[in-house]
Amino acid sequence: MKCNKLVIILFCTFYFYKANAQDFKLGNVSVEELQEKNHEMDSTAVAAILFEKGAVHFEYTQDDGFKMITQVTTRIKIYKKEGYEWANKAVSYYIGSNAKEILSFSDVATYNLINGKIEKTKLKSDGEFDEKVNKYWGRKKITLPNVKVGSVVEFKYVVRSSRFSELTEWSFQSSIPVNYSEFKTFIPEYFDYNPNIKGFVSPNITKEKSSKSLSYSYKPKVMPGDNLHTSTSQEKLEFVETRTVYIAENLPAMKEEAYVNNIANYTTSVSHELSVVKFPNQPYQTLSTDWPSVTKTIYDYEDFGPELNKTGYFEEDLKVVLAGLSSADEKILAIFNHVKASVKWNDYYGYSCDDGVKKAYKDKTGNVAEINLMLTAMLRHVGLTANPVLVSTRSNGIAFFPNRTAFNYVIAAVETPNGLVLLDATDPFSTPNILPLRALNWVGRLIRKDGTSIEVDLMPKASSNDVVIMNYEIDAKGEVSGRLKRQRTDYNAIIFRGNTKNIKEDTYLEKLENENDKIEISDYSRTNEKDLKLPILENFAFSGSNFSEIIGGSIYINPMLFFAVTQNPFKQEIRAYPVDYGFPFLDKYNITIKIPEGYKVESVPTPLLLNMEDNLGGFKFMINTLDNAIQLVLTHQINVPIVIADYYPMLKEFYQKMIEKQNEKIVLIKK
Amino acid sequence: MIFKYVSSLLLFCTTFIYAQKVEYTSFTISDSLKENANAVIRLNQIDILISSQRNMNVITKRIVTVLNEKGLDAIDAVGNYDKRTTIRNIETTVYDAFGKEIKKFKRKDFKDQSAVGGGTLFSDNRYLYLDYTPIQYPFTIVFDSEIETSTTAFIPDWRPLNSYFVSVEKSILNVKYPDNLGFKKMEFNFFNFKIEKTLDTSTNLSYTATNILAQKQEDYSPVVSTIFPKLMMGLELFHLEGVDGNAKTWKEFGQWYSDKILLGTTDLPDETKMKVKALVGDEKDPIKKAKLIYNFVQHKVRYISIQVGIGGWKPMLASDVDRLGYGDCKALTNYTKALLDVVNVPSYYTILYGDRKKLNIQSEFVSMQGNHVILSIPNGDNYTWLECTSQDDPFGYQGIFTDDREVLVIKPEGGEIVRTKIYEDKGNTQISKGSYSLTANGDFSGKITIVSGGSQYSQKASIENLQPTEKEAHYKDYWGHINNLKINKISFSNDKDKINLTENLAVEAVKYGSLTSNKLIFAVNAFNKTSAYVKRIRNRTNSLEIQRGFFDEDEINVVLPLGFSVEYMPAYYELSNKFGTYTTEIIKIDSSNLVYKRTLFIKKGLFSNKEYDEYRLFIEQISKNDNAKIILTSNQ
Repeated sequence: MKCNKLVIILFCTFYFYKANAQDFKLGNVSVEELQEKNHEMDSTAVAAILFEKGAVHFEYTQDDGFKMITQVTTRIKIYKKEGYEWANKAVSYYIGSNAKEILSFSDVATYNLINGKIEKTKLKSDGEFDEKVNKYWGRKKITLPNVKVGSVVEFKYVVRSSRFSELTEWSFQSSIPVNYSEFKTFIPEYFDYNPNIKGFVSPNITKEKSSKSLSYSYKPKVMPGDNLHTSTSQEKLEFVETRTVYIAENLPAMKEEAYVNNIANYTTSVSHELSVVKFPNQPYQTLSTDWPSVTKTIYDYEDFGPELNKTGYFEEDLKVVLAGLSSADEKILAIFNHVKASVKWNDYYGYSCDDGVKKAYKDKTGNVAEINLMLTAMLRHVGLTANPVLVSTRSNGIAFFPNRTAFNYVIAAVETPNGLVLLDATDPFSTPNILPLRALNWVGRLIRKDGTSIEVDLMPKASSNDVVIMNYEIDAKGEVSGRLKRQRTDYNAIIFRGNTKNIKEDTYLEKLENENDKIEISDYSRTNEKDLKLPILENFAFSGSNFSEIIGGSIYINPMLFFAVTQNPFKQEIRAYPVDYGFPFLDKYNITIKIPEGYKVESVPTPLLLNMEDNLGGFKFMINTLDNAIQLVLTHQINVPIVIADYYPMLKEFYQKMIEKQNEKIVLIKK
Repeated sequence: MIFKYVSSLLLFCTTFIYAQKVEYTSFTISDSLKENANAVIRLNQIDILISSQRNMNVITKRIVTVLNEKGLDAIDAVGNYDKRTTIRNIETTVYDAFGKEIKKFKRKDFKDQSAVGGGTLFSDNRYLYLDYTPIQYPFTIVFDSEIETSTTAFIPDWRPLNSYFVSVEKSILNVKYPDNLGFKKMEFNFFNFKIEKTLDTSTNLSYTATNILAQKQEDYSPVVSTIFPKLMMGLELFHLEGVDGNAKTWKEFGQWYSDKILLGTTDLPDETKMKVKALVGDEKDPIKKAKLIYNFVQHKVRYISIQVGIGGWKPMLASDVDRLGYGDCKALTNYTKALLDVVNVPSYYTILYGDRKKLNIQSEFVSMQGNHVILSIPNGDNYTWLECTSQDDPFGYQGIFTDDREVLVIKPEGGEIVRTKIYEDKGNTQISKGSYSLTANGDFSGKITIVSGGSQYSQKASIENLQPTEKEAHYKDYWGHINNLKINKISFSNDKDKINLTENLAVEAVKYGSLTSNKLIFAVNAFNKTSAYVKRIRNRTNSLEIQRGFFDEDEINVVLPLGFSVEYMPAYYELSNKFGTYTTEIIKIDSSNLVYKRTLFIKKGLFSNKEYDEYRLFIEQISKNDNAKIILTSNQ
């Protein structure tokens, strides 16, 4: 969305914003606030936001056209030394050549209580820093003076911007408690913004339309033959302004939990995206209101749709790649591998091209869009029904709402008689329908040539396997030696290949030995390292002396050796967010143990079968004693990629029982 | 806490393009150089031209063959600049394995970035860097740069070998300097490497290093500065951010620092002077006075790093710190000094390397060194050292960031090299007293009091300030071997006079002991398993260094469940050698009460590479015995 499209012929001045004179005004710090020793609701809080207010309105000037003004005022209480960082504030602003923003801080001050009196220390210029981060972004920082435990700090900043495509995303919550958070928008009828609210707390929303009038001066253009002394006339324009106020109060601090893919997904916030621009006497300009228009808009971007239509740069090469291939599956794989081999990902995300597909192909390097749009174009070129799928990566958060800026990534999809095949050529180890983990974030949006779109479930349904076959024998000293074979498929394989990429075998083995109770490994081999469509296999011999204890002549040994999980990954008592495994999996162990000469089995752990509620997963432990050998088959599976928090107590208990079983010992005694 | 990095000042540049691209092929590299290497430095030529006391050019030509993704850092295509340092040229060219040119980057293709980060709020230092995505490995990159600066107080060290897993085919240093500036140099750790001095006159110095094999990183190695070769260089007549300097000895250097950098920075408003005098009152003892002042500073200021111009070296004015209530290590140290001056307690600005590893100011080589500043106060024959950036440290406590190392104390009459406080192995204590009981199911509940002192204090003191969830996470990790751990109580007491931190905990866990048929098996040592993790290393080459010793003592009462009797219980165990001593003992009080006693004493020391495995086995043995089990049999 470029701002210059909004330049209109009218010369007018808007007067519709007036500072709101409510309870929360900068400068009115109370003695009570300064005296407070701890936060009322959260005595552990290091600091708290007493209030934070944001307001967005529009202004028009003759020289610049419309400007969007965002004003934020904040009051923060510092309770502890660990909260001192809240007395520093940094705000980024855009300084790219086409739409520079202006950011200014004001009313910055620290308040302390000295002998019962409020002492105010203002920020002087030596506490403000302006930094050019890079070509596009600047950053202003303030550090407040005279901050102590108990201080209250305040600041205000204003950003003037001509980047209208979205309003600043307003987070009501923070990593410290927030007592009062308010966000107001004053939107003239010429703009429509789509508000999107997410998170666990619902802000209170009030909306009010009011009729505004403004006066502006109008001077007709001088036409040939006109009297040169045309007069300026005063005109009046009526318009409707919508004022929306979002208020949330007493919000607890957001706290990180383990196995959360991105805490921003759960923070209460409101974002706004521009959907319609409608100036008087001009056609409506629709940007996004729903998925069809969002995807249509994106498809029409110069750096997106048109890039899919370029074919000349690859046609010759593709002939060679496809020579002799006839089936669709063969073609898909050949083209996919060709793109992977020809263009390296430069680690940049985005669904639009930087340098374009042509240049990326020539330079052998490109961003996500260049690589996967090029892939889509090639697949289309050979007659397949291929389309791009917009994705929001795990680090970007889930795309909850129809919104152009919700996405930051794109992959390719081919419709085949057997269903959709998802492809991402940015990862060297990715295979059809096995996407890199970063792209596994709930749903994507597939866009067809005509701009229509459908939702695509990205989460893997099939289980990724990790199968271990291990045979070992125990000697009378309790030392073990044996062989093992391990086979990893799908996601387990892509992760393994990624982790072992560029690692020398010696280094890998040293790590493997150390991570597995210092076993010694020999005769190591790896199969299908390069052949991505096959599972990856490891095969090696091992010996180790750290697995058994000889107590009073008996040998106590854990049959799973180094595979036994000893710690419950779920240590918290309660949990607010879902547990995100990324993909369903099945771990299976097939273990055969030979016992030493002159010994017999005194006891083995009892078999166990655990099934999780709603078939979310299970654990099976089967053990069989033969003459001088023990056979153990163990499986652990999780059938869904994401387990919602409601199941957490069940999940925790499941892991507890499973881990207990895994750590029970075999007892061998002398005959 | 770190002030302006020496390396951020200067670096690199260009000369002429080699005619034969054959030199850039990856195939000519010998196998020995590829061993353990992620990248091979084919040539690293640094030409340093010092034309006057106020002008230095550093020209770098570096040709690197990158063998894989992990070797990308070896390219180091970065140019730092600021108001007094200009990048005159910076460019690179990339060649494929056959020596064919793939891509060229001119200055405008480099990205420009502010050098803020790692705790610095603002700095006027910036850098240009190359953002290149390799399309294949191996490839060869030629990096050329030329940097000009007026600062001659730092001549970059020559480090022909700079990192692990990188080998060096050839590294050349040429330095040219006027004969009247007192150029000096000193070699470190050259003996194990092929380094030749090719020229050494009154105006020229040249070295060539060849075929340095890639080094593997190994745990418990001594600091890099004692392993890798390094040439330090300096001028007796130098220039720093608009200030000329002249020093042959530490005494002269300290005097210059005192006169030119520190002078005039300690004035304070009268109001503050009066306040401090009132605070001290009639106290006569200088150390007691200092303690009052230190406490005042800890409550008044916070640490914020701002590095602008000479401010990278010169402390912010004490009057500004007084007004603003913040500053960096230089500012806060200088401010504390200014306050002590008011109450007639002498104290000295002290420059050192702040690091968990003990790094010395290189005392044999007089030059601008260090990355941190603390304050020293004469105390009898010794000094009391104050870390002025901390709001929590006890008075005079050095922890593990500034202890036991050579530092430069700046006195008005000149500089002096002094060693900071050494924390004796036996004084780095952790004394635990507690008890636990087991039920017939193996459920566990216990209480423990842990008192930590010496250098162990600093590892524990920060726990007290964690958020409750973080505290819980800390203990669940610390006692990670106890599954299903529930923490019922956490409290602390922090005795800053004695430098003792006490942790009080009450915990419980279901199924701590495992019940198999009618036997209950449990590890008797529940609260203090050795956390040392000593890796197996194939063919270790570096010496083994234990930087700090410690002493742990545990006494835990164990209450057994009713209806069980002891079938097996580990005997007295002792292990003692050059690394330390370990003992465990279980004393049976009656049929259901035991006392578990454990001591572990580890000495600091430097040992040969051959002794590494001995140490590993020593720790492994301790770890095994820390896991020793008691077996109970049900009487039913």
